[in-house]
Amino acid sequence: MVIRAAAAIALLLLVAFSSDAQQPPRPVFNVQAGVVGATLPASVLQQQSVKKQLSSGLTTTFLVIARQRELSRVTGARIEVRYDLWDEVWIVRRVEFDGKTDRQRLTSAEALEKWWRTPVRLLATDAARVALQVDLSVLPFSAAEEEDARQWITKSGGVGTAAGGGGIVDALIGTTISAKPITSYRWNVELALR
Amino acid sequence: MTRTRSLASMLLAVGAATVLFWAVLHQISSVWLDVALRPEVRQALEQALEDQKQLRRLDPAQRELYRRRFDETRTLVNRIEVLRMNRENMLQRFELALVIMFAVAATLGAVSLWMRYRRAQERERCEYLERVSSLQETARRHAHEIKGPLTAARLELERFADLARHGAPDEELASAQESMAEELDRLARFTRDFSTFGGLGKPVLRRESLGQVIEEFCATFANAWPALKLEENGGDAIVCIDRDMLRQVLVNLCTNSARAVNGDGRIGFSIVKNGPRIFLDVRDNGSGIPVSLRGRVFDPYVTTRKIGEGMGLGLSISRKVMLDHGGDLVLVDTSEKGTQFRLTFGAPDC
Repeated sequence: MVIRAAAAIALLLLVAFSSDAQQPPRPVFNVQAGVVGATLPASVLQQQSVKKQLSSGLTTTFLVIARQRELSRVTGARIEVRYDLWDEVWIVRRVEFDGKTDRQRLTSAEALEKWWRTPVRLLATDAARVALQVDLSVLPFSAAEEEDARQWITKSGGVGTAAGGGGIVDALIGTTISAKPITSYRWNVELALR
Repeated sequence: MTRTRSLASMLLAVGAATVLFWAVLHQISSVWLDVALRPEVRQALEQALEDQKQLRRLDPAQRELYRRRFDETRTLVNRIEVLRMNRENMLQRFELALVIMFAVAATLGAVSLWMRYRRAQERERCEYLERVSSLQETARRHAHEIKGPLTAARLELERFADLARHGAPDEELASAQESMAEELDRLARFTRDFSTFGGLGKPVLRRESLGQVIEEFCATFANAWPALKLEENGGDAIVCIDRDMLRQVLVNLCTNSARAVNGDGRIGFSIVKNGPRIFLDVRDNGSGIPVSLRGRVFDPYVTTRKIGEGMGLGLSISRKVMLDHGGDLVLVDTSEKGTQFRLTFGAPDC
Protein backbone atom coordinates (compact mmCIF):
# COMPACT_ATOMS: atom_id res chain seq x y z
CA MET A 1 0.00 0.00 0.00
CA VAL A 2 2.80 2.38 0.94
CA ILE A 3 4.69 1.43 -2.20
CA ARG A 4 1.66 2.15 -4.37
CA ALA A 5 1.15 5.57 -2.75
CA ALA A 6 4.83 6.43 -3.21
CA ALA A 7 4.66 5.39 -6.85
CA ALA A 8 1.59 7.55 -7.40
CA ILE A 9 3.28 10.59 -5.84
CA ALA A 10 6.39 9.99 -7.92
CA LEU A 11 4.28 9.79 -11.06
CA LEU A 12 2.48 13.03 -10.21
CA LEU A 13 5.81 14.79 -9.63
CA LEU A 14 7.12 13.46 -12.92
CA VAL A 15 4.07 14.70 -14.79
CA ALA A 16 4.29 18.08 -13.11
CA PHE A 17 8.00 18.35 -13.89
CA SER A 18 7.64 17.30 -17.47
CA SER A 19 4.69 19.61 -18.13
CA ASP A 20 6.75 22.42 -16.67
CA ALA A 21 9.62 21.47 -18.97
CA GLN A 22 7.33 21.55 -22.05
CA GLN A 23 6.05 25.04 -21.47
CA PRO A 24 5.85 26.71 -24.89
CA PRO A 25 8.41 29.38 -25.60
CA ARG A 26 7.08 32.89 -25.20
CA PRO A 27 7.86 35.91 -27.34
CA VAL A 28 9.02 39.14 -25.84
CA PHE A 29 6.55 41.91 -26.57
CA ASN A 30 7.56 45.53 -26.72
CA VAL A 31 5.79 48.78 -27.38
CA GLN A 32 7.34 51.69 -29.18
CA ALA A 33 5.48 54.84 -30.23
CA GLY A 34 2.13 53.05 -30.10
CA VAL A 35 3.36 50.11 -32.14
CA VAL A 36 3.34 46.65 -30.62
CA GLY A 37 6.20 44.40 -31.67
CA ALA A 38 7.20 40.89 -30.74
CA THR A 39 10.52 39.17 -30.64
CA LEU A 40 9.73 35.59 -31.48
CA PRO A 41 11.54 32.95 -29.46
CA ALA A 42 14.59 31.45 -31.18
CA SER A 43 13.57 28.03 -29.91
CA VAL A 44 10.91 28.00 -32.63
CA LEU A 45 13.71 27.71 -35.20
CA GLN A 46 15.43 25.04 -33.18
CA GLN A 47 12.40 22.77 -33.06
CA GLN A 48 13.27 19.58 -34.95
CA SER A 49 10.43 19.64 -37.50
CA VAL A 50 10.96 23.35 -38.21
CA LYS A 51 14.71 22.96 -38.52
CA LYS A 52 14.29 20.16 -41.01
CA GLN A 53 11.82 22.17 -43.05
CA LEU A 54 14.06 25.23 -43.12
CA SER A 55 16.75 23.33 -44.98
CA SER A 56 14.34 21.68 -47.46
CA GLY A 57 14.62 24.37 -50.12
CA LEU A 58 10.95 25.26 -49.77
CA THR A 59 9.87 28.57 -48.33
CA THR A 60 9.00 28.04 -44.67
CA THR A 61 6.40 30.63 -43.77
CA PHE A 62 5.83 31.93 -40.26
CA LEU A 63 2.43 33.48 -40.03
CA VAL A 64 1.82 35.73 -37.02
CA ILE A 65 -1.80 36.70 -36.37
CA ALA A 66 -2.59 39.18 -33.60
CA ARG A 67 -6.16 39.54 -32.38
CA GLN A 68 -7.02 42.56 -30.29
CA ARG A 69 -9.73 41.06 -28.11
CA GLU A 70 -11.69 44.18 -27.11
CA LEU A 71 -11.99 45.43 -30.67
CA SER A 72 -12.18 42.11 -32.53
CA ARG A 73 -9.40 43.55 -34.66
CA VAL A 74 -7.04 41.26 -36.50
CA THR A 75 -3.63 42.21 -37.81
CA GLY A 76 -0.49 40.25 -38.46
CA ALA A 77 2.86 39.72 -40.08
CA ARG A 78 4.54 37.14 -42.22
CA ILE A 79 8.09 35.86 -42.15
CA GLU A 80 9.42 33.74 -45.00
CA VAL A 81 12.65 31.76 -44.80
CA ARG A 82 14.09 29.82 -47.71
CA TYR A 83 17.45 28.14 -47.93
CA ASP A 84 18.88 28.71 -51.39
CA LEU A 85 20.61 25.47 -52.28
CA TRP A 86 22.58 27.00 -55.15
CA ASP A 87 24.22 29.87 -53.30
CA GLU A 88 23.85 28.16 -49.90
CA VAL A 89 22.42 31.27 -48.29
CA TRP A 90 19.23 31.99 -46.39
CA ILE A 91 16.82 34.22 -48.24
CA VAL A 92 14.48 35.80 -45.76
CA ARG A 93 11.63 38.23 -45.99
CA ARG A 94 9.52 39.88 -43.36
CA VAL A 95 6.24 41.65 -44.12
CA GLU A 96 4.84 43.56 -41.18
CA PHE A 97 1.30 44.69 -40.37
CA ASP A 98 1.62 47.94 -42.33
CA GLY A 99 3.16 46.34 -45.39
CA LYS A 100 6.71 47.26 -44.53
CA THR A 101 8.97 44.64 -46.01
CA ASP A 102 12.45 43.58 -45.12
CA ARG A 103 14.49 41.26 -47.39
CA GLN A 104 17.83 39.79 -46.56
CA ARG A 105 20.34 37.23 -47.80
CA LEU A 106 21.93 35.63 -44.80
CA THR A 107 25.04 33.56 -45.15
CA SER A 108 24.86 31.49 -41.98
CA ALA A 109 22.50 29.95 -39.47
CA GLU A 110 23.87 32.31 -36.85
CA ALA A 111 23.01 35.29 -39.01
CA LEU A 112 19.54 33.87 -39.47
CA GLU A 113 19.06 33.51 -35.73
CA LYS A 114 20.28 37.07 -35.19
CA TRP A 115 17.88 38.40 -37.82
CA TRP A 116 15.09 36.33 -36.28
CA ARG A 117 15.54 38.17 -33.00
CA THR A 118 14.61 41.50 -34.59
CA PRO A 119 11.14 42.38 -33.27
CA VAL A 120 8.33 41.97 -35.77
CA ARG A 121 5.81 44.81 -35.71
CA LEU A 122 2.26 43.53 -35.26
CA LEU A 123 -0.11 46.44 -34.79
CA ALA A 124 -0.42 50.12 -34.02
CA THR A 125 -2.83 51.39 -31.41
CA ASP A 126 -3.52 54.48 -29.35
CA ALA A 127 -5.20 52.59 -26.51
CA ALA A 128 -3.68 52.65 -23.04
CA ARG A 129 -3.90 48.87 -22.71
CA VAL A 130 -4.32 46.10 -25.22
CA ALA A 131 -5.23 42.47 -24.69
CA LEU A 132 -3.80 40.39 -27.48
CA GLN A 133 -4.12 36.83 -28.62
CA VAL A 134 -1.14 36.07 -30.81
CA ASP A 135 -1.02 32.95 -33.00
CA LEU A 136 2.09 31.73 -34.76
CA SER A 137 1.68 29.08 -37.45
CA VAL A 138 4.64 27.53 -39.19
CA LEU A 139 3.68 26.56 -42.73
CA PRO A 140 5.94 24.22 -44.71
CA PHE A 141 5.70 26.10 -48.01
CA SER A 142 4.52 29.37 -49.46
CA ALA A 143 1.27 30.09 -51.30
CA ALA A 144 3.21 30.43 -54.58
CA GLU A 145 4.80 27.01 -54.16
CA GLU A 146 1.40 25.55 -53.29
CA GLU A 147 -0.13 27.00 -56.43
CA ASP A 148 2.79 25.79 -58.55
CA ALA A 149 2.42 22.21 -57.25
CA ARG A 150 -1.33 22.35 -57.81
CA GLN A 151 -0.90 23.45 -61.41
CA TRP A 152 1.72 20.78 -61.94
CA ILE A 153 -0.39 17.92 -60.57
CA THR A 154 -3.36 19.11 -62.58
CA LYS A 155 -1.47 19.36 -65.85
CA SER A 156 0.99 16.52 -65.66
CA GLY A 157 0.42 14.58 -62.50
CA GLY A 158 -1.65 11.87 -64.16
CA VAL A 159 -4.96 13.05 -62.80
CA GLY A 160 -6.23 13.69 -66.29
CA THR A 161 -6.03 16.45 -68.78
CA ALA A 162 -8.91 15.52 -71.01
CA ALA A 163 -12.14 17.44 -70.94
CA GLY A 164 -15.05 16.02 -69.01
CA GLY A 165 -14.72 14.05 -65.78
CA GLY A 166 -11.01 14.93 -65.51
CA GLY A 167 -11.93 18.52 -64.67
CA ILE A 168 -13.97 17.48 -61.66
CA VAL A 169 -11.24 15.17 -60.41
CA ASP A 170 -8.63 17.92 -60.96
CA ALA A 171 -10.73 20.26 -58.88
CA LEU A 172 -11.11 17.67 -56.14
CA ILE A 173 -7.41 16.84 -56.06
CA GLY A 174 -6.19 20.38 -56.59
CA THR A 175 -8.08 21.80 -53.66
CA THR A 176 -6.56 19.13 -51.43
CA ILE A 177 -3.09 20.61 -51.72
CA SER A 178 -2.68 23.09 -48.91
CA ALA A 179 -0.04 24.11 -46.47
CA LYS A 180 -0.97 22.55 -43.14
CA PRO A 181 0.98 24.03 -40.21
CA ILE A 182 3.96 22.01 -39.05
CA THR A 183 3.50 23.50 -35.63
CA SER A 184 1.62 26.37 -34.07
CA TYR A 185 1.67 28.44 -30.91
CA ARG A 186 -0.79 30.68 -29.14
CA TRP A 187 0.02 33.34 -26.64
CA ASN A 188 -2.24 35.66 -24.69
CA VAL A 189 -0.83 38.88 -23.40
CA GLU A 190 -2.01 42.16 -21.90
CA LEU A 191 0.14 45.18 -22.53
CA ALA A 192 0.14 48.62 -20.98
CA LEU A 193 1.08 51.18 -23.62
CA ARG A 194 1.23 54.23 -21.34
CA MET B 1 -42.15 -13.11 -55.66
CA THR B 2 -40.84 -11.57 -58.89
CA ARG B 3 -40.46 -8.27 -57.15
CA THR B 4 -38.50 -9.82 -54.27
CA ARG B 5 -36.24 -11.66 -56.71
CA SER B 6 -35.66 -8.52 -58.73
CA LEU B 7 -34.79 -6.48 -55.63
CA ALA B 8 -32.53 -9.24 -54.32
CA SER B 9 -30.62 -9.46 -57.60
CA MET B 10 -30.32 -5.69 -57.71
CA LEU B 11 -28.92 -5.59 -54.15
CA LEU B 12 -26.60 -8.48 -54.93
CA ALA B 13 -25.25 -6.69 -58.00
CA VAL B 14 -24.68 -3.44 -56.11
CA GLY B 15 -23.11 -5.33 -53.18
CA ALA B 16 -20.73 -7.27 -55.43
CA ALA B 17 -19.74 -4.10 -57.25
CA THR B 18 -19.09 -2.36 -53.92
CA VAL B 19 -16.87 -5.16 -52.62
CA LEU B 20 -14.94 -5.24 -55.88
CA PHE B 21 -14.64 -1.49 -55.83
CA TRP B 22 -13.23 -1.39 -52.30
CA ALA B 23 -10.88 -4.25 -53.08
CA VAL B 24 -9.16 -2.34 -55.89
CA LEU B 25 -9.65 1.21 -54.70
CA HIS B 26 -6.40 1.58 -52.77
CA GLN B 27 -4.42 -0.12 -55.49
CA ILE B 28 -5.74 2.23 -58.13
CA SER B 29 -5.60 5.44 -56.18
CA SER B 30 -2.10 5.22 -54.75
CA VAL B 31 -0.18 3.99 -57.79
CA TRP B 32 0.11 7.22 -59.74
CA LEU B 33 1.08 9.25 -56.67
CA ASP B 34 3.53 6.72 -55.28
CA VAL B 35 5.44 6.63 -58.54
CA ALA B 36 6.19 10.34 -58.21
CA LEU B 37 7.07 10.03 -54.54
CA ARG B 38 9.41 7.07 -54.69
CA PRO B 39 12.59 7.75 -52.66
CA GLU B 40 14.76 6.81 -55.64
CA VAL B 41 13.18 9.61 -57.66
CA ARG B 42 13.92 12.14 -54.98
CA GLN B 43 17.44 10.83 -54.49
CA ALA B 44 18.14 11.06 -58.19
CA LEU B 45 16.89 14.62 -58.32
CA GLU B 46 18.93 15.64 -55.30
CA GLN B 47 21.96 14.09 -56.89
CA ALA B 48 21.23 16.09 -60.03
CA LEU B 49 21.17 19.27 -57.94
CA GLU B 50 24.49 18.39 -56.40
CA ASP B 51 25.90 17.60 -59.84
CA GLN B 52 24.91 21.01 -61.19
CA LYS B 53 26.67 22.66 -58.31
CA GLN B 54 29.80 20.64 -58.97
CA LEU B 55 29.68 21.49 -62.65
CA ARG B 56 29.45 25.17 -61.76
CA ARG B 57 32.77 24.87 -60.01
CA LEU B 58 34.39 22.81 -62.74
CA ASP B 59 33.10 24.87 -65.64
CA PRO B 60 32.44 28.43 -64.49
CA ALA B 61 31.90 29.60 -68.05
CA GLN B 62 28.64 27.65 -68.24
CA ARG B 63 27.51 28.81 -64.85
CA GLU B 64 24.23 30.32 -66.10
CA LEU B 65 23.28 27.12 -67.90
CA TYR B 66 23.90 25.04 -64.81
CA ARG B 67 22.01 27.55 -62.73
CA ARG B 68 19.00 27.28 -65.02
CA ARG B 69 19.09 23.51 -64.91
CA PHE B 70 19.53 23.61 -61.17
CA ASP B 71 16.47 25.84 -60.77
CA GLU B 72 14.35 23.58 -62.96
CA THR B 73 15.33 20.52 -60.96
CA ARG B 74 14.84 22.35 -57.69
CA THR B 75 11.34 23.38 -58.72
CA LEU B 76 10.60 19.74 -59.44
CA VAL B 77 11.98 18.68 -56.07
CA ASN B 78 9.88 21.33 -54.37
CA ARG B 79 6.74 20.13 -56.13
CA ILE B 80 7.39 16.56 -55.13
CA GLU B 81 8.00 17.65 -51.58
CA VAL B 82 4.69 19.54 -51.54
CA LEU B 83 2.93 16.43 -52.87
CA ARG B 84 4.64 14.23 -50.31
CA MET B 85 3.36 16.45 -47.51
CA ASN B 86 -0.17 16.27 -48.92
CA ARG B 87 -0.08 12.61 -49.88
CA GLU B 88 -2.64 11.34 -47.40
CA ASN B 89 -5.08 14.16 -48.02
CA MET B 90 -4.77 13.75 -51.76
CA LEU B 91 -5.34 10.02 -51.57
CA GLN B 92 -8.37 10.52 -49.38
CA ARG B 93 -9.78 13.07 -51.78
CA PHE B 94 -9.02 10.91 -54.80
CA GLU B 95 -10.73 7.97 -53.15
CA LEU B 96 -13.63 10.22 -52.28
CA ALA B 97 -13.89 11.21 -55.92
CA LEU B 98 -13.93 7.56 -56.95
CA VAL B 99 -16.51 6.75 -54.28
CA ILE B 100 -18.73 9.57 -55.50
CA MET B 101 -18.42 8.39 -59.09
CA PHE B 102 -19.16 4.85 -58.02
CA ALA B 103 -22.14 5.97 -55.94
CA VAL B 104 -23.52 7.95 -58.86
CA ALA B 105 -23.03 5.00 -61.22
CA ALA B 106 -24.58 2.58 -58.71
CA THR B 107 -27.53 4.90 -58.16
CA LEU B 108 -28.11 5.30 -61.88
CA GLY B 109 -27.84 1.54 -62.33
CA ALA B 110 -30.30 0.89 -59.51
CA VAL B 111 -32.74 3.46 -60.88
CA SER B 112 -32.43 1.95 -64.34
CA LEU B 113 -33.04 -1.57 -63.00
CA TRP B 114 -35.99 -0.34 -61.01
CA MET B 115 -37.50 1.38 -64.02
CA ARG B 116 -36.99 -1.72 -66.14
CA TYR B 117 -38.67 -3.77 -63.45
CA ARG B 118 -41.59 -1.37 -63.31
CA ARG B 119 -41.94 -1.35 -67.10
CA ALA B 120 -41.87 -5.17 -67.20
CA GLN B 121 -44.50 -5.23 -64.47
CA GLU B 122 -46.69 -2.81 -66.40
CA ARG B 123 -46.23 -4.78 -69.65
CA GLU B 124 -47.15 -8.01 -67.89
CA ARG B 125 -50.24 -6.35 -66.49
CA CYS B 126 -51.31 -5.08 -69.93
CA GLU B 127 -50.70 -8.46 -71.53
CA TYR B 128 -52.73 -10.19 -68.87
CA LEU B 129 -55.62 -7.76 -69.33
CA GLU B 130 -55.39 -8.23 -73.08
CA ARG B 131 -55.51 -12.03 -72.71
CA VAL B 132 -58.48 -11.85 -70.37
CA SER B 133 -60.23 -9.43 -72.70
CA SER B 134 -59.59 -11.76 -75.64
CA LEU B 135 -60.97 -14.72 -73.71
CA GLN B 136 -64.05 -12.71 -72.75
CA GLU B 137 -64.61 -11.89 -76.40
CA THR B 138 -64.19 -15.55 -77.37
CA ALA B 139 -66.61 -16.67 -74.65
CA ARG B 140 -69.16 -14.12 -75.87
CA ARG B 141 -68.83 -15.39 -79.44
CA HIS B 142 -69.10 -19.02 -78.37
CA ALA B 143 -72.20 -18.29 -76.29
CA HIS B 144 -73.80 -16.43 -79.16
CA GLU B 145 -72.94 -19.05 -81.79
CA ILE B 146 -74.47 -21.81 -79.63
CA LYS B 147 -77.35 -19.84 -78.15
CA GLY B 148 -78.74 -18.64 -81.51
CA PRO B 149 -79.39 -22.05 -83.14
CA LEU B 150 -80.37 -23.63 -79.80
CA THR B 151 -83.07 -21.04 -79.13
CA ALA B 152 -84.32 -21.26 -82.69
CA ALA B 153 -84.36 -25.08 -82.58
CA ARG B 154 -86.23 -25.03 -79.27
CA LEU B 155 -88.88 -22.66 -80.69
CA GLU B 156 -89.24 -24.84 -83.80
CA LEU B 157 -89.57 -27.92 -81.57
CA GLU B 158 -92.36 -26.25 -79.58
CA ARG B 159 -94.06 -25.25 -82.83
CA PHE B 160 -93.69 -28.78 -84.12
CA ALA B 161 -95.26 -30.24 -80.93
CA ASP B 162 -98.05 -27.68 -81.10
CA LEU B 163 -98.75 -28.49 -84.74
CA ALA B 164 -98.72 -32.21 -83.98
CA ARG B 165 -101.13 -31.80 -81.06
CA HIS B 166 -103.59 -29.87 -83.25
CA GLY B 167 -103.32 -32.33 -86.13
CA ALA B 168 -101.68 -29.90 -88.54
CA PRO B 169 -101.09 -30.98 -92.12
CA ASP B 170 -97.92 -32.92 -92.99
CA GLU B 171 -96.48 -30.00 -95.01
CA GLU B 172 -96.48 -27.73 -91.96
CA LEU B 173 -94.95 -30.47 -89.82
CA ALA B 174 -92.29 -31.05 -92.45
CA SER B 175 -91.55 -27.30 -92.61
CA ALA B 176 -91.05 -27.14 -88.83
CA GLN B 177 -88.88 -30.22 -88.94
CA GLU B 178 -86.77 -28.68 -91.70
CA SER B 179 -86.28 -25.48 -89.71
CA MET B 180 -85.11 -27.51 -86.73
CA ALA B 181 -82.69 -29.39 -88.94
CA GLU B 182 -81.31 -26.10 -90.31
CA GLU B 183 -80.57 -24.79 -86.82
CA LEU B 184 -78.93 -28.06 -85.86
CA ASP B 185 -76.84 -27.83 -89.06
CA ARG B 186 -75.68 -24.41 -87.95
CA LEU B 187 -74.54 -25.93 -84.69
CA ALA B 188 -72.81 -28.72 -86.59
CA ARG B 189 -70.98 -26.18 -88.80
CA PHE B 190 -69.87 -24.31 -85.72
CA THR B 191 -68.38 -27.42 -84.12
CA ARG B 192 -66.81 -28.36 -87.45
CA ASP B 193 -64.83 -25.10 -87.46
CA PHE B 194 -63.38 -26.05 -84.11
CA SER B 195 -62.74 -29.58 -85.24
CA THR B 196 -60.79 -28.21 -88.20
CA PHE B 197 -58.76 -25.91 -85.97
CA GLY B 198 -58.10 -28.57 -83.32
CA GLY B 199 -57.60 -31.48 -85.66
CA LEU B 200 -55.45 -30.06 -88.45
CA GLY B 201 -53.61 -32.97 -89.93
CA LYS B 202 -50.06 -33.03 -91.27
CA PRO B 203 -49.84 -32.12 -94.96
CA VAL B 204 -49.03 -34.88 -97.41
CA LEU B 205 -46.49 -33.10 -99.60
CA ARG B 206 -46.15 -33.68 -103.29
CA ARG B 207 -44.25 -31.82 -105.98
CA GLU B 208 -46.81 -29.72 -107.80
CA SER B 209 -46.88 -26.92 -110.31
CA LEU B 210 -47.96 -23.91 -108.32
CA GLY B 211 -49.12 -22.13 -111.47
CA GLN B 212 -51.36 -25.04 -112.34
CA VAL B 213 -52.82 -25.19 -108.82
CA ILE B 214 -53.64 -21.46 -108.96
CA GLU B 215 -55.17 -21.82 -112.42
CA GLU B 216 -57.43 -24.64 -111.25
CA PHE B 217 -58.34 -22.74 -108.10
CA CYS B 218 -59.36 -19.65 -110.09
CA ALA B 219 -61.43 -21.79 -112.46
CA THR B 220 -63.12 -23.81 -109.73
CA PHE B 221 -63.93 -20.89 -107.42
CA ALA B 222 -64.60 -18.27 -110.08
CA ASN B 223 -68.19 -17.84 -108.91
CA ALA B 224 -67.79 -18.72 -105.25
CA TRP B 225 -67.61 -15.07 -104.11
CA PRO B 226 -69.90 -12.95 -106.27
CA ALA B 227 -68.24 -9.68 -105.24
CA LEU B 228 -64.75 -10.92 -105.99
CA LYS B 229 -62.95 -11.49 -109.29
CA LEU B 230 -60.04 -13.94 -109.12
CA GLU B 231 -57.04 -12.92 -111.21
CA GLU B 232 -54.12 -15.16 -112.04
CA ASN B 233 -51.09 -12.94 -112.70
CA GLY B 234 -48.92 -15.62 -114.25
CA GLY B 235 -45.69 -17.31 -113.30
CA ASP B 236 -44.99 -20.85 -112.29
CA ALA B 237 -42.80 -22.83 -109.95
CA ILE B 238 -42.55 -26.32 -108.62
CA VAL B 239 -43.37 -26.53 -104.93
CA CYS B 240 -43.96 -29.25 -102.36
CA ILE B 241 -47.52 -28.85 -101.18
CA ASP B 242 -50.62 -30.64 -100.01
CA ARG B 243 -52.95 -29.45 -102.75
CA ASP B 244 -56.15 -29.68 -100.64
CA MET B 245 -54.65 -27.88 -97.69
CA LEU B 246 -53.24 -25.08 -99.86
CA ARG B 247 -56.67 -24.74 -101.45
CA GLN B 248 -58.16 -24.32 -97.94
CA VAL B 249 -55.66 -21.53 -97.26
CA LEU B 250 -56.62 -19.75 -100.47
CA VAL B 251 -60.32 -20.15 -99.70
CA ASN B 252 -59.80 -18.55 -96.28
CA LEU B 253 -57.90 -15.59 -97.80
CA CYS B 254 -60.55 -15.12 -100.49
CA THR B 255 -63.36 -15.30 -97.92
CA ASN B 256 -61.73 -12.51 -95.94
CA SER B 257 -61.11 -10.45 -99.08
CA ALA B 258 -64.70 -10.89 -100.22
CA ARG B 259 -65.84 -9.27 -97.00
CA ALA B 260 -63.30 -6.43 -97.33
CA VAL B 261 -64.07 -5.38 -100.90
CA ASN B 262 -66.84 -3.06 -101.87
CA GLY B 263 -68.37 -3.50 -105.33
CA ASP B 264 -65.57 -4.05 -107.86
CA GLY B 265 -63.53 -6.54 -105.83
CA ARG B 266 -60.42 -8.15 -107.24
CA ILE B 267 -57.93 -10.55 -105.79
CA GLY B 268 -54.71 -11.36 -107.63
CA PHE B 269 -52.31 -14.29 -107.34
CA SER B 270 -48.66 -13.70 -108.29
CA ILE B 271 -45.91 -16.29 -108.16
CA VAL B 272 -42.55 -14.72 -107.24
CA LYS B 273 -39.18 -16.42 -107.42
CA ASN B 274 -36.26 -15.08 -105.42
CA GLY B 275 -33.32 -17.40 -105.92
CA PRO B 276 -34.30 -20.76 -104.50
CA ARG B 277 -37.20 -19.25 -102.60
CA ILE B 278 -40.73 -19.20 -103.95
CA PHE B 279 -43.55 -16.94 -102.86
CA LEU B 280 -47.19 -16.61 -103.71
CA ASP B 281 -48.43 -13.06 -103.24
CA VAL B 282 -52.17 -12.67 -102.72
CA ARG B 283 -53.37 -9.09 -103.02
CA ASP B 284 -56.88 -7.66 -102.87
CA ASN B 285 -58.25 -4.16 -103.33
CA GLY B 286 -60.33 -4.20 -100.15
CA SER B 287 -60.50 -1.71 -97.31
CA GLY B 288 -57.57 -3.17 -95.37
CA ILE B 289 -57.15 -4.50 -91.86
CA PRO B 290 -57.80 -2.11 -88.94
CA VAL B 291 -54.62 -0.83 -87.30
CA SER B 292 -55.62 -2.26 -83.93
CA LEU B 293 -55.66 -5.82 -85.35
CA ARG B 294 -52.57 -5.75 -87.59
CA GLY B 295 -50.16 -7.04 -84.97
CA ARG B 296 -52.26 -10.05 -84.01
CA VAL B 297 -54.08 -10.84 -87.19
CA PHE B 298 -52.90 -14.48 -87.05
CA ASP B 299 -54.03 -14.99 -83.45
CA PRO B 300 -57.10 -17.23 -83.03
CA TYR B 301 -60.43 -15.49 -82.42
CA VAL B 302 -59.21 -12.18 -83.85
CA THR B 303 -61.81 -10.94 -86.31
CA THR B 304 -63.53 -7.83 -87.60
CA ARG B 305 -66.80 -9.69 -88.00
CA LYS B 306 -69.77 -9.20 -85.76
CA ILE B 307 -70.62 -11.79 -83.13
CA GLY B 308 -72.44 -14.64 -84.79
CA GLU B 309 -70.71 -14.11 -88.18
CA GLY B 310 -67.50 -16.02 -87.61
CA MET B 311 -64.97 -17.08 -85.02
CA GLY B 312 -61.79 -15.52 -86.44
CA LEU B 313 -59.99 -18.81 -86.95
CA GLY B 314 -59.36 -18.66 -90.72
CA LEU B 315 -55.99 -16.86 -90.79
CA SER B 316 -54.81 -18.75 -87.74
CA ILE B 317 -55.55 -22.07 -89.46
CA SER B 318 -54.01 -20.86 -92.72
CA ARG B 319 -50.72 -19.84 -91.09
CA LYS B 320 -50.56 -23.17 -89.23
CA VAL B 321 -50.98 -24.97 -92.58
CA MET B 322 -48.19 -23.00 -94.23
CA LEU B 323 -45.86 -23.50 -91.27
CA ASP B 324 -46.56 -27.24 -91.54
CA HIS B 325 -45.50 -26.95 -95.17
CA GLY B 326 -42.12 -25.61 -94.04
CA GLY B 327 -43.08 -22.13 -95.20
CA ASP B 328 -45.06 -19.29 -93.69
CA LEU B 329 -47.89 -16.87 -94.19
CA VAL B 330 -47.15 -13.22 -93.54
CA LEU B 331 -49.02 -9.98 -93.81
CA VAL B 332 -46.93 -7.85 -96.21
CA ASP B 333 -49.00 -4.74 -96.51
CA THR B 334 -52.42 -3.43 -95.63
CA SER B 335 -54.04 -0.06 -96.16
CA GLU B 336 -57.32 1.42 -97.32
CA LYS B 337 -56.17 0.53 -100.87
CA GLY B 338 -55.89 -3.17 -100.21
CA THR B 339 -54.14 -5.97 -98.40
CA GLN B 340 -51.31 -8.23 -99.46
CA PHE B 341 -50.44 -11.58 -97.89
CA ARG B 342 -47.43 -13.63 -98.89
CA LEU B 343 -47.24 -17.39 -98.78
CA THR B 344 -43.72 -18.76 -98.62
CA PHE B 345 -42.91 -22.35 -99.48
CA GLY B 346 -40.29 -24.73 -98.24
CA ALA B 347 -37.65 -26.38 -100.41
CA PRO B 348 -39.18 -28.34 -103.35
CA ASP B 349 -37.41 -31.60 -102.43
CA CYS B 350 -40.17 -33.69 -100.94
